[in-house]
Amino acid sequence: MTTLAIYSNKGGVGKTATAVNLAYLAAQAGYTTLLCDLDPQSSSTFYFRVKPKIKRAAQGFTKASKAIDKSIKGTDYENLDLLPADFTHRNLDITFNNLKHSKLRLTKVLVPFHKEYDLIMLDCPPTINILAENIFNTADNILVPLIPTTLSLRTHQQMLTFFKKNNYNKKNVYTFLSMVDRRKKLHKEITVNITNTFDGVLESVIPYLSHVEQMGLRREPVPAFAPNVAAAKAYRALWDEVETKIL
Amino acid sequence: MKVEIFNMPEGMNQMQLLADLSEKFSIVEDKTVTQNYTLYDTFDWRLFNEKLVLQHSNNILSVRALSSKKVIDRVPVTQPPGFVWDLPESVLQLRLASIIEMRKLLNLATVHVNSTTYRLLNKDAKTVVRLAIEELRLTPQTSKPASTTYVYLHQVRGYPKAANTLAQALQQLKLTPDKNSDIYFSIMAAAGKNPSAYSSKPQFEISAQMRADEATKIIMRSLIDIIRLNEPYVKQDVDTEFLHDFRVALRRTRSALSQIRAVFPAEVTVRFKQDLAHLGRLTNQLRDLDVYLLDKDTYKAMLPEILQDDIDPLFAMLQQQRAKALKDVIKGLNSKVYQNILRDWEVFLQEDTPESDSAPNAGRPIVDLAQERIYKRYRRIVKSGQAILANTEDELLHDLRIECKKLRYLLEFFNALFPAKKVKFLIRQLKVLQNNLGDFNDLCVQGEYLLNAAGSLPTSDPKSQKMMLAIGALVGTLDNERIRVKEEFAETFLEFVAPANKALFKQLFAPHKENK
Repeated sequence: MTTLAIYSNKGGVGKTATAVNLAYLAAQAGYTTLLCDLDPQSSSTFYFRVKPKIKRAAQGFTKASKAIDKSIKGTDYENLDLLPADFTHRNLDITFNNLKHSKLRLTKVLVPFHKEYDLIMLDCPPTINILAENIFNTADNILVPLIPTTLSLRTHQQMLTFFKKNNYNKKNVYTFLSMVDRRKKLHKEITVNITNTFDGVLESVIPYLSHVEQMGLRREPVPAFAPNVAAAKAYRALWDEVETKIL
Repeated sequence: MKVEIFNMPEGMNQMQLLADLSEKFSIVEDKTVTQNYTLYDTFDWRLFNEKLVLQHSNNILSVRALSSKKVIDRVPVTQPPGFVWDLPESVLQLRLASIIEMRKLLNLATVHVNSTTYRLLNKDAKTVVRLAIEELRLTPQTSKPASTTYVYLHQVRGYPKAANTLAQALQQLKLTPDKNSDIYFSIMAAAGKNPSAYSSKPQFEISAQMRADEATKIIMRSLIDIIRLNEPYVKQDVDTEFLHDFRVALRRTRSALSQIRAVFPAEVTVRFKQDLAHLGRLTNQLRDLDVYLLDKDTYKAMLPEILQDDIDPLFAMLQQQRAKALKDVIKGLNSKVYQNILRDWEVFLQEDTPESDSAPNAGRPIVDLAQERIYKRYRRIVKSGQAILANTEDELLHDLRIECKKLRYLLEFFNALFPAKKVKFLIRQLKVLQNNLGDFNDLCVQGEYLLNAAGSLPTSDPKSQKMMLAIGALVGTLDNERIRVKEEFAETFLEFVAPANKALFKQLFAPHKENK
């Protein structure tokens, strides 16, 4: 069992599209997968046509796990289950802070699900706070989508600095280029820059493609509704690389 | 996730069910999957009798327990199963070898499974329940399924209410929860097969007070059925056991004709005794050769390792002889003589037994005659055996073997007339003695046969010379074994005539005028 977090401290980088498409491809490849939507915007939940309502998690680890168990929904796809988001996640910061072991709470509540699933994916909100620290503790690996802009370089560096300061293992942080526009010269230059500056940069690149935007209308993963388009191929390549290098 | 299984009622079809459900639910067809598998067992249902089901599908051979879907063993194969020794070395092969032995696995039925899945959607067009409808057919084109159609209701995690609502709707449409009886039985029924119907050792359905001639005819009819059932398979040379069952049934028929004395008109008995003996002889050669060839590995194991392969030319010769013997048997079974004899026999067996007594024992209650014959035979064995203890001549041992066989057949014919457990016990005791005498006989015959065979083989080339050495070694080993077995006779016989057994024989079969 392995836990993979799709994380970025910036919004709008293609995090949810990545989480949804990779979770789908993992399930298709035979991994029993649980996608946890930890983002109060509940986008992955929406993409899978699930209502973003879960039972209120009470105090205590076991009750929380039970509440999660009751909230998990099977998606339309074999091997793939979803833990829907709920706006109270927004409040999880506060809840966590009030409890003991507040940075390990997420780890603990997910333990009962290790036996059921081969892969747990976390769709993370773009924050650096107590929830993010929970995610950094739980995840075996972290995958960060980066749009090739100058600001992305800076933000990613900030994240890695934060990791170092708090003794998180930098080695498990992987990145890949997302929403790339190959026509832009700037994108190409920064892509090279990113590859040279950071470790763990994957070769697969996700271009900016309309089919990805269509996910919101179709409410299905791209490889499910358009298996042969470029976007689907790009995500499949990314999944293959993730499976080989990370899992 | 949980699955609930339902049966579609007779007369309902898939389209109908979907139409009815579509009135209440939003249903979308997903995909249809077809799969074939073929079921196998031996002619005498050996696997079924062990509660096993053997299935071949997509180059995988698998065995499961009857009434369970769980596969016990599986192995990849490149061809349909036939003989167990041709299967890939595997746990599956090991498990089946001792059950199937030398019998060929026969194709019982091929099942074509057509499985269509449907999805039930909620208002957000999200799948909340999955439905799979499974139809089974024996040929892909039949319009009507071979057995009840199965409906599987798969819950989707997190949507329990939807599953319950659908389950209730199904029950309202008269679908019933599946009782978990194995689909094997309905497939066999649809294929016209009756598992366990054939046995080479059937129970004879006779009762104590039946007329002796009628009871005997009932026994004979069971036996001629077995002969006729095995006949075509003998000609097709499917496996060696068909000939064996054929011969045993014929042998028992002849034994009944001799041992169940004077129940038919004398001329009938004389005529058929002669004719059936002729039929028996037709297959002697072939059976002898089958037995030697089946035991090939046993013989090789008796040889020192350096000679084990040198005996191969002998078996090559036996194989050739076997091919010819088979041709002779086929010719014999197809001959007019054979067909006429059996037809006349069948006609005789179908005739009603006469009202008046056509022979001295014809009208007696069968139980009386049975007791008389069994006890007489038993007493004779005791006497003969005791004579052998004094003077262990080979000839006498062979005669005793035949005596025991006659008694054994009698006990088996009249099984139904006496307390089952007691007869079973006595048969077991008799079997031990028979095994000793049988082994002794086999060893004598084999030794002689080998010496004979050696006489007719070439001797000049090195290969043949080595083969002679091997044959010599084998003859030597067999002779040592023969002596050892002979020495065990005394103890074995004394156990058979032990006071407890004697008392039981007396109790069941001796004339008790007072106890009648």
